[in-house]
Amino acid sequence: MTALVRAELHKLFTTRLWWIMMIVMILLIGISLGFAIGSAGVESNGLSTPARTSPEWLELAWSAGASGSIFVMILGVIMMTSEYRYQTVTGTFLATPRRTPVIAAKLVAGLIVGALFAVAALLFETVVAIPAVLISGGEVSLTASHIPQISLGILANLALNVLFGIGLGALVRNQIAGVVAAIVWSYAIEGIFSSFPALQPVGKWLPGGAARALMSIDIDTGLGRPDLLPAWAGALVLIAYAVLFAFVASATTVRRDIT
Amino acid sequence: MTAIEIRNLVKSFGAVKAVDDVTFTVEAGSVTGYLGPNGAGKTTTLRSLLSLVTPDSGEALIHGRRYRDIEAPLAEVGAVLEATSFHPGRTAANHLRGLCIAGRLPVKRAEEALGQVGLADVAGKRVGGFSLGMRQRLALAGAILGRPRVFILDEPANGLDPAGIEWLRGFLRHLAHDQGAAVLVSSHVLSEVEQTVDDVVILARGKLVRQGALDEIVTGDDASVRVRTARAPELADALEAAGATVERVTEDTLRVRGLDSEAIGQLALDRRIVLTEVGQERSDLQKVFLELTEGR
Repeated sequence: MTALVRAELHKLFTTRLWWIMMIVMILLIGISLGFAIGSAGVESNGLSTPARTSPEWLELAWSAGASGSIFVMILGVIMMTSEYRYQTVTGTFLATPRRTPVIAAKLVAGLIVGALFAVAALLFETVVAIPAVLISGGEVSLTASHIPQISLGILANLALNVLFGIGLGALVRNQIAGVVAAIVWSYAIEGIFSSFPALQPVGKWLPGGAARALMSIDIDTGLGRPDLLPAWAGALVLIAYAVLFAFVASATTVRRDIT
Repeated sequence: MTAIEIRNLVKSFGAVKAVDDVTFTVEAGSVTGYLGPNGAGKTTTLRSLLSLVTPDSGEALIHGRRYRDIEAPLAEVGAVLEATSFHPGRTAANHLRGLCIAGRLPVKRAEEALGQVGLADVAGKRVGGFSLGMRQRLALAGAILGRPRVFILDEPANGLDPAGIEWLRGFLRHLAHDQGAAVLVSSHVLSEVEQTVDDVVILARGKLVRQGALDEIVTGDDASVRVRTARAPELADALEAAGATVERVTEDTLRVRGLDSEAIGQLALDRRIVLTEVGQERSDLQKVFLELTEGR
């Protein structure tokens, strides 16, 4: 099993995709952080966003790392679909004809890669957001800004989104369809269910909603407080999704003819 | 033990019976050509043998067991399926290293195998820039990684230039005849395998139409003898009187069926007819193949 996980990691790290995805993720988080720095303490329509010196600002800024979830989901989709696109799945199953361990190894490798992306995102946030607070004359309090909990939430979110991507990739097998489905899911479906208050009772049960519950961002940014599950329930929902995706990936692959 | 055993194999894709009750074996130390037109079911048979496709019924076994039940498959079976099974952005060496890791082989086997197939110079190059012939060699390098004793190759000569085909022939003969491996190689281009294989199995529309040693199949049952003589009409009459079927090919050449060369020579001697040429006519594999697979 260790050998299979190493083989999966080898496959991922011997193509260029992973570092391209990581750079794009860091860029997007950079833009979010830049926006958070620029718009801090701005008043509009009688409501004001938290000032850079407040613990709430760091809390909001820190949660930007969760926006990396779409990139790791796409990475997961490609980890699975490129096996079919380039037919490398043939060689994979010739080296290891028992397919369930191969899928399990892919999922474990996915978790590791998701965690690595989360660490990269958190390191980037550290070098950008914390100086931003200090330069503004604020004090950084990790506990007041819930940094450990948000960081854990980002870690779980990114790691599990790779599994979501792998499951989705195994289901559709077509790379472009898989990537489009991942984008539509993250931006359109999750977006709609998390933004409209009437849909939030459903949205909180979706993977994105559960991931936000884990981070417990409970700040009114002008749209009202989000309707979220308690953190522990968010964690359970995410684990349930992970099991579901793993099952989908395995069930759709184990008996299929590779022609 | 029989290296490869296919027994009553049946596999359908929807309404199409790709492989219909095929049975044959391949022994160690020999090269068997698995021949048939495109779409005859060759690839489906080979993929069943490698547990990539699940047969509807029948068995496809290697050393008496299914591929998926083999503990270390890369060390027992080397397979070349299609030359496109590579990620274009990965280097040749990294492609093979990944297989070594998954197959629990020493990673240094990757470089050794690349050297054996003549790709050592491009080990660090991305496969995307490889020609079809280089991809075939890389696929072969993957097959020999674990130093297996059984080889299953699907159209390995596709995309190879004449020098590459010559190299492949030598390579397959070396594996079978010097190292005692069992080699099963499919092809639809018969001239590619005619000089390489010991045995042939011919498939058409999923059904096995002929199998046996190459020599037997090429010689055939109604083998004819080509005879050349200045007194062709006289000899023809004599041969027909002796019960042979005679065909005038040219002014001085006859094609004789129903008598072997010894009987023909004896008859000519009795009549004091000088023969300038006597030879067994071997129909080439291409012709036999077309006869066997046409109209089915």
